[in-house]
Amino acid sequence: MLRLARGVALTALLAHSAAIAQGQHLAFVSCPIVRDTKSVPCWLSEYGGETYYLGIQTDVSADFYPPSLGHQVLVEGDKTDDARICGGVPLKNVVVSVMPERADNCQTLLMAEDRYTLPFEPPRPPGPSTGRLAFAYPQPEKPEPPYQPKSFELHYDFDATVGFKHPRFLTLVMDYAKLTGARTISIVGYRGRTALSNGTFLTERDNLAKIRAQEVADLLRGAGLTSPKYEVSWIEEPETGDASRRRTTITVTP
Amino acid sequence: MRRHVSAALLGGSVLLFGAVVSFQATASGADSTSVKEAPREWWSPGESRRFPEFLTYANKWGDLGLYLEGAPIETKGHAFFEPLGANGRACVSCHQPADGMSLSVASIQQRWRDTRGKDPIFAQVDGANCPTLPANDPASHSLLLTRGLFRIALPWPPKAADGRTIDPEFTIEVVRDPTGCNTGTQYGLNSSNPTISVYRRPRPVANTKYTTHQRFGVSPFIGKNGLPTARDPETGKPVSMNLMADARHPTLKMQARDAAATHLEFAGRLNAKQLSQIEDFERRIYAAQVRLIQAGSLVEPDGPPAFGPRNLANGEAGVLGNNTTRYVFPMGDAWKKPVAGESEEQRSKRESIRRGHDIFFFRTFWIKDSMHLNTVGLGNPTKRTCATCHGMHMTGMDSSNGWMDIGTTNLPWAKEVPLNPWNQHKPDLPLFKITCKPGVLPHPYLGRVFYTQDPGRALISGKCNDVGTVVMQQFRGLASRAPYFSNGSAASIRELIDFYDRRYNIQFSEQERLDLETFLASL
Repeated sequence: MLRLARGVALTALLAHSAAIAQGQHLAFVSCPIVRDTKSVPCWLSEYGGETYYLGIQTDVSADFYPPSLGHQVLVEGDKTDDARICGGVPLKNVVVSVMPERADNCQTLLMAEDRYTLPFEPPRPPGPSTGRLAFAYPQPEKPEPPYQPKSFELHYDFDATVGFKHPRFLTLVMDYAKLTGARTISIVGYRGRTALSNGTFLTERDNLAKIRAQEVADLLRGAGLTSPKYEVSWIEEPETGDASRRRTTITVTP
Repeated sequence: MRRHVSAALLGGSVLLFGAVVSFQATASGADSTSVKEAPREWWSPGESRRFPEFLTYANKWGDLGLYLEGAPIETKGHAFFEPLGANGRACVSCHQPADGMSLSVASIQQRWRDTRGKDPIFAQVDGANCPTLPANDPASHSLLLTRGLFRIALPWPPKAADGRTIDPEFTIEVVRDPTGCNTGTQYGLNSSNPTISVYRRPRPVANTKYTTHQRFGVSPFIGKNGLPTARDPETGKPVSMNLMADARHPTLKMQARDAAATHLEFAGRLNAKQLSQIEDFERRIYAAQVRLIQAGSLVEPDGPPAFGPRNLANGEAGVLGNNTTRYVFPMGDAWKKPVAGESEEQRSKRESIRRGHDIFFFRTFWIKDSMHLNTVGLGNPTKRTCATCHGMHMTGMDSSNGWMDIGTTNLPWAKEVPLNPWNQHKPDLPLFKITCKPGVLPHPYLGRVFYTQDPGRALISGKCNDVGTVVMQQFRGLASRAPYFSNGSAASIRELIDFYDRRYNIQFSEQERLDLETFLASL
């Protein structure tokens, strides 16, 4: 009976996999897999009987940050019909979130094989850089007076608060507030709900919108931005959608 | 001037000092502008001496060089060299020139023998495992005598810079207290002024333009976690936070004030002149190896630009190394080909140094489960090299705020005494049980409950993810200041390499170990 149930489940899964069309948005929680190559490792994950390519190891300037063995990963992205990379189907607009709790079963590290080579030159070798960060950030235009209210958004990994990704964005807020002599900083925290491809929902932890909003205010004050008046609020009702729902908005009013 | 000191047995079975220890103070002339002076190796507080432009001291690997940029210093009346507090110590007590401006365990042991334990470095306040222990008994000073560790007592819960109490993200329980200083009634968590005592090595006070830079990686927010960066109260500018093991003081002056009050037991407050003297000296002193046995001089005119204190003084601070224009430790084309007059032995050693450099720079391995390294966008694991973390040009420090947990104090990686019925050795460091509170995300690699010998940065920040993180040190003058790591757990450069090999399953060959060891000793 158990075997039958497993068989039915497997059939359903395969059918679901076959139904994932090119361009379709995918969201799933699974173990990440790291595969070595002759240069930098690439990162994969399996879902519905298919292997998806997430990205490669680069450096802290990249848009894509590889996940972590020992943890599950929430993968959000659009399936493409591009040629496989490292044995995986590439995803477009991919966002990965390391799930906070330990998952000691997620430990797959695959050794390099000649058949899995990167079809492009990695922007950053595994050793020291070639004299620059792999990706250059676009320089924001210097604002000119009269200064206008300006909004910024911080985006988060699932269930996460401020981390290593955020200093450069927080610095932009600081710079604009200082330049314009900001009178008010309005901060609104949100939390998200992700519609997974298996039909279920994954909702961020309770109270997180408040935690995010208050944390951003504390950080800006702590970094020396104490003059402006802070208006801190949050919306605890989770917003269903993609990774962009997990956010804090910051509006600087000169 | 060479003297040999026989092995000594101190403190019964606990303290058996190593075989023959030799000291030598020289003016080897390793630098063409050396001041020819043969200094005594130990600098006592309150002496009237001149700190010249250039000094060399012999160590087991060769010679260390010290370069004082600018005018020589007369130590009489100078705040770095004068005993300011009640216990007779000066800054120089624990920042000895012969030890690369740190303090080697060999010097500590020698000092015990020379003074029968009366030197101010053995002051009960932090030179004993706990002030409550009997004075002048080597067993009371075992952590200093065997691992070079001083006691650091920090308030619990932590206090922020503005004096407010921080609500920590974790609870801490003392599960082992061999020194008695964490559970006693006079000191420790049960005392009227609750503190946690941890045991750490003194950091080298040299090459400070690198440890205090305000350039690459320093921004208003800490690159590792997004929290506000500490700022210099005089300028309001963010600092690198790379000065101390737990980054608790952001500037040289603030560190000096704290050290005077705690280590020197100075009841007053350093005045502006004293602070200025201390900072001036600390900003002008550079230390690095200048000669390696068999390899010869490291600082010949056409030698590698990485080596020697003068190159450190001339180097660019606060920039990240790369593999095209600015290596972490630049070797240039030096020693690539045989040089006229080079002996076979010298040639062989210099080739070993170059190979060691290449291992440091290009030998990849999988770096895994290291907090504030694998969590900052590189992935876990990440296939990188030594130079990935040790990336700052000329020192191999982290150019941004550099606290990480590589497992030197957190279990299961930290060095622990094997417990079994046949082992008579007892653990000498405290052990703490850490429990991340409900509502706080668990430590990504250690979970919600784990054990540490020293919570490191977390004793300042109160953050669960900071437990066991320690600011990485500079790689200069290593040959003169064993043991290594903040808790002195690596007795030699070879043990340091072995730790990494074990921790990250690097699988170094014996030749790789030798070459890397030779390279590190040359720094």
